[in-house]
Amino acid sequence: MGILSRTITNNFDKLLAGLAVTLEVSVIAFVVAVSLGLTLCFVRMYVKPLRWPAILAIEFGRNTPIYVQLMWVNYVWPDLFGWPTSVFTAGWTALAVQSSGYLAETFRAGIEGVRRGQWEAAYSLGMSPALTMRRIVLRQVAVTMSPSIMNQFLVVVKSSTLVSVIAVPDLMYQALRLTSIWFEPIEILSVTAFLYIAVVFVLSNMIKRYTDRLRLRYT
Amino acid sequence: MSLENLRLALDVSVFWEYRRLLLAGLAVNFYVFALAAVLAIALGFPACLLRLHRWRPLQWLGTGYAEFFRNTPEYVFLIWVHFVLPLLISALIATKVNFPPLLSAVLALGFSYSGYFTETFRAGILAVPRGHLEAGRALGMPRRLILWRITLPQAARQMLPEAMNQLVSLFKATSIISLITVPDIMYQVVQITSTEMKPLPLYSSAAFVYFLVIFAMSTLVRWVTEGWRTRGWA
Repeated sequence: MGILSRTITNNFDKLLAGLAVTLEVSVIAFVVAVSLGLTLCFVRMYVKPLRWPAILAIEFGRNTPIYVQLMWVNYVWPDLFGWPTSVFTAGWTALAVQSSGYLAETFRAGIEGVRRGQWEAAYSLGMSPALTMRRIVLRQVAVTMSPSIMNQFLVVVKSSTLVSVIAVPDLMYQALRLTSIWFEPIEILSVTAFLYIAVVFVLSNMIKRYTDRLRLRYT
Repeated sequence: MSLENLRLALDVSVFWEYRRLLLAGLAVNFYVFALAAVLAIALGFPACLLRLHRWRPLQWLGTGYAEFFRNTPEYVFLIWVHFVLPLLISALIATKVNFPPLLSAVLALGFSYSGYFTETFRAGILAVPRGHLEAGRALGMPRRLILWRITLPQAARQMLPEAMNQLVSLFKATSIISLITVPDIMYQVVQITSTEMKPLPLYSSAAFVYFLVIFAMSTLVRWVTEGWRTRGWA
């Protein structure tokens, strides 16, 4: 227990600060990914001339490992576009690129899953296509696709462990730093793993509860 | 965005210069992928049978196993297996043990993905209609025979598409093994970048190579499984 108090209890504030960064990166990445994914999905479905670039972006996000994207965004984008300017920004950007591809396909499946009759009913009431999309279609997509959309948040949290590689001070980064200071990998890394598992487990149960309730209420 | 930098990013000559190393790295990716896939399937199958066992405590064990590995981030687990597990084993058997990076990589990815495979197998087995099992029982077949002759052949077809998608994900996950110095393609790219100081073309080409390989794999999976679906197979 001596070791535990020296390495864990004394440095627990650092681990918690790291956990806060992990959640911060994940939330920003997820919000950006949802908006970007929705945009990509709309461009792919309704903007003919930009269809192929959108498909390319989506497939790139879906078919490259997050670690590779992270390195790519962090080392190549600043020279190409002059952005992102910090590792934190690079971290959430890479996570968002990855998830936006998956989410775009989820949204597309959801939109295509809404029955034609819904569109026709809205049109016959004189609603414009944009209004129909907003008021009728997207609401249903939000309900039917909420399990996949919210599970993508778990994927983001799990992938966010990798942002430590580009020195974003998240939980994993703090854990590896403490390990190299104290040389006590057993305690530090095990506690870290436990923290991650606890966070993901709690989140996944919350999501399951919430989506079950949503489904009960609307279907 | 500067044109000079764009030209640099598209300049693959550095990448071409090191093609031998990079191909060797990609081969390591495939090697780890194959071993981890075998391990994941070998572990996922018994765990799935535990989850579906009649006896409650065994069910909990199987569920706990699957949940544990599904909820652990792969990178955290990889680091844990590489740096903590050997120490624990050393303490247990009182001799110094070290894991070579390759072994850690295979163990970590194999165990991580066995959680996903447990769920995939379970979904496949549950998709077999109950009536088929009851028919087997009515014919007087023992449980084990029902499992091997009736449940598993049908479940295998049901779960193949999903299992193949999991395998593609597993291949994607092999990119992180470079972080514990397994000499895979990403490891080589990082090494070459640190000597050549040309991150633009190297990282871009690495991303492109990964994209090509994984896109080819997932397209193949889609193509094959669509064929099965249209034949009513899966």
